Formats: sequence, structure tokens, C-alpha cells
Amino acid sequence: MIPADPKARDALAAEYVLGTLEAREASEVARALRADPAFAEAVARWEARLAPLTALAPPEAPPPGLWARIEAALDSSATTASAAALAPWWRRLLEPWRLGAIGAGAVAAGLAAVLLLRPAPAPQYMTVLLTDRDQPAWLVQADREAIRLAALNTRPPPPDRVLELWALPQGATAPTSLGLIPPDGRVTVRPTTIRAEPGMLIEITLEPPGGSPTGRPTGPIQFIGRLAPATGS
Amino acid sequence: MDAQAELGPLLAAVTRGDRAALRAIYERQSVRLFGIAVAILRDRDAAADALQDAFLRIARRSGQFDPARGAAEPWLAAIVRHAALDIARSRGREVPTDDPALGDAAFAPEALDRVASDEEARRLRACLEALEAKNRQGVVLAFVHGLSHAQIAARLDQPLGTVKAWIRRGLLRLRECLA
Repeated sequence: MIPADPKARDALAAEYVLGTLEAREASEVARALRADPAFAEAVARWEARLAPLTALAPPEAPPPGLWARIEAALDSSATTASAAALAPWWRRLLEPWRLGAIGAGAVAAGLAAVLLLRPAPAPQYMTVLLTDRDQPAWLVQADREAIRLAALNTRPPPPDRVLELWALPQGATAPTSLGLIPPDGRVTVRPTTIRAEPGMLIEITLEPPGGSPTGRPTGPIQFIGRLAPATGS
Repeated sequence: MDAQAELGPLLAAVTRGDRAALRAIYERQSVRLFGIAVAILRDRDAAADALQDAFLRIARRSGQFDPARGAAEPWLAAIVRHAALDIARSRGREVPTDDPALGDAAFAPEALDRVASDEEARRLRACLEALEAKNRQGVVLAFVHGLSHAQIAARLDQPLGTVKAWIRRGLLRLRECLA
């Protein structure tokens, strides 16, 4: 419990910042920080008061591989997250206004790709998966029976890695693998357990040869997009 | 633009999901932050775990950083300290505390020089110097080296209750002195 008495509250905030609280007390305080802005303010003031003391710790270079480890941990936490909890960068791509812009741009960007595709029934849904520089990379078209993927201008995956295609229906907690993407970048899948629908997330991850060993994405998300009705096609 | 001034915009970019900005923060700050974690954990492997946890927290919470309420360097340091303290606590703080150099650096006059890079640091240093040595030692051993009350009591060879009272008084005096 966070005490009501102002002096006791401030003493607790100080000992939290100092680091002398036991695990149970410290986690209670950490929870209270989110719910009690006045208490969070008291903690912030103590952090500011004592911060210059960190200069007493001699600087030391971390081990060389640490950034790569951090990046892998960031990727796995983003990949296992549900669609609602995607990393902000991806969420940004999925904002409706942006999807609208992608839809319009896709008419031009997708023209070449459409020519590459075999004649197919008019797609009901589509999306364009973008690179991290917002360049169109893949065109995804889908109807009730099939999901078709065509490469626009992607680079091949690094050696000893493959690209795996996934679909995440809205409300689902884990994506379903749609298989590996062959080097020519063209795939038509007729999934039996899921059906294309508006709002479905389509994503491509980097996986070890043969694909994810776990049935869930294990590598970083390379591309992601959300199916939208293909109006005007 | 100096490194400190760049950190705020970099944190804002991290909030927009910019991985390169997070890496830039790592490149600018990891030597300082790793040193803070090593001082608390005295174990490079555990300190690397702490820095990893801390950067995941920084990625998640960068939107909570408010430049109007303080500088980015102390904000980053606080996240690293708490990540390291969480690891120290999960290990039952079974860290050796008999390292003769531990904390002594904090009592050497030239070491306190390092706590004097700007106005706030100079004020804290003056207030620390005004404390009785026993109160100052408790605060520094806890804040810089992550020692628990019990570990500080063992190290200073004093009863636990006495050490708790010294630390509490030290904190109160610091608050009055800095007000």
C-alpha cells in the first residue's frame, strides 16, 4: 500500500529511487506510478535530485554483441505481439489514411505486377506491403478462395534465410503460415483453415531455411499490411 | 548540437518507431549506462541483461519522456538503474559486498569531482559533503552500488535499524538542502 501521509509517501518515493526497497515493495511502487500521478511526480523529483550520483559509476564499454541481442529481443517482442500491440512503426503503416494513400499509389505501382500475374478473378481485397522506407515491395490480392502475392521490387533475403508469408485474421492471437516465398516472389495459396477478409494482416518474416521451426514467426517482420476491399478493381 | 541536446529528438523518433534512433541512443549512451549497471551488479553478464531489459523499456516508454520535465540523460539512467535493481533483487542480492574498493571511490574528494559537471550536480555535491559521512555512505552505497539495507549494515558493521535510520535521515537532509 502507498501510504496517505505525505511524509511517509515522500520517504517511500525516495527509497524506491535509492533502490533499497525489497522486491515486493518495489513492484508495488512501480504499479502505483501508473495509477497515482502525484506519487509518480514525487518519484520523478527524487530521480532528478539523485541523478548526478550516477556519475560515480565509472563508464564501461558493453560487450560487442549486445546491440544485436537487443535488436533480436525487440524483433521477437514485436513479432509475437498481437496486431493491436504492434510496434509503433508498423502501427503507423496501418493507419487508415495511409492505407488509403497506399491504395491509390498501388494502382500505379501495382500495374507492372498485375501484368505478371496470371489472369485471375477480380480480387475482392488487396494491400501493398511496404519496405521500411515506405517503398511498395509486395502486392497482395485475395478473394474468398486464394491469396496471391507478387513481388514489386524486393531484394532477395540474406543467404541462409528465407521469407515466410503469414496471415493474421482479425481477432486471432497467432498468425497462420501461408508457406515460404519462392525466389521469383510469386505465390498463390488456397488456405483451408482461414479465409481472406477485410482487416486481415498479411506479413512476411525472415526465417531459417525450411521456414519457422515453431509454426509461429520467429524472425523479424520484414513487411506487413492489412487487407482492404479492392474498390474500383 | 551536443549529444545531450540530441537525445530528446532521438527519443521522439523512437516513439514513432524509428529503430535507427534507438540505435543512435545506444551508440551515444551505452558506455555510460553499462557502467551504471556494472556498478550495481558487479557482473558484466548480468549488466548486459540489465541493459537489454532497459532498452526494451526505453523502446516501449519513450513516449513518456517529457523534455519539459527534465533532461534525457537522467531519464535513461533511471530506467537502467531500475532494470539493474530488478535483476539484483531477483538474485536475492547475493552479490559480494566485501569488495574493498566498493563505494570507497564515492568518498574520495576527486571522485566527487565527477559529480560536478553542471549546476544541479554542484548543488548535490555540496549537499552530500554537508552530510555526516555515515549518512552519505549509506546513500551512495545504495544508489550507486545497489546495496540493500542489510548489505549496507553488514558492510558498515552496524545494526540494520541504525543503517535504515541513517539512510532515512540522509535523504531528508538532502531534500532540505536541495530545496
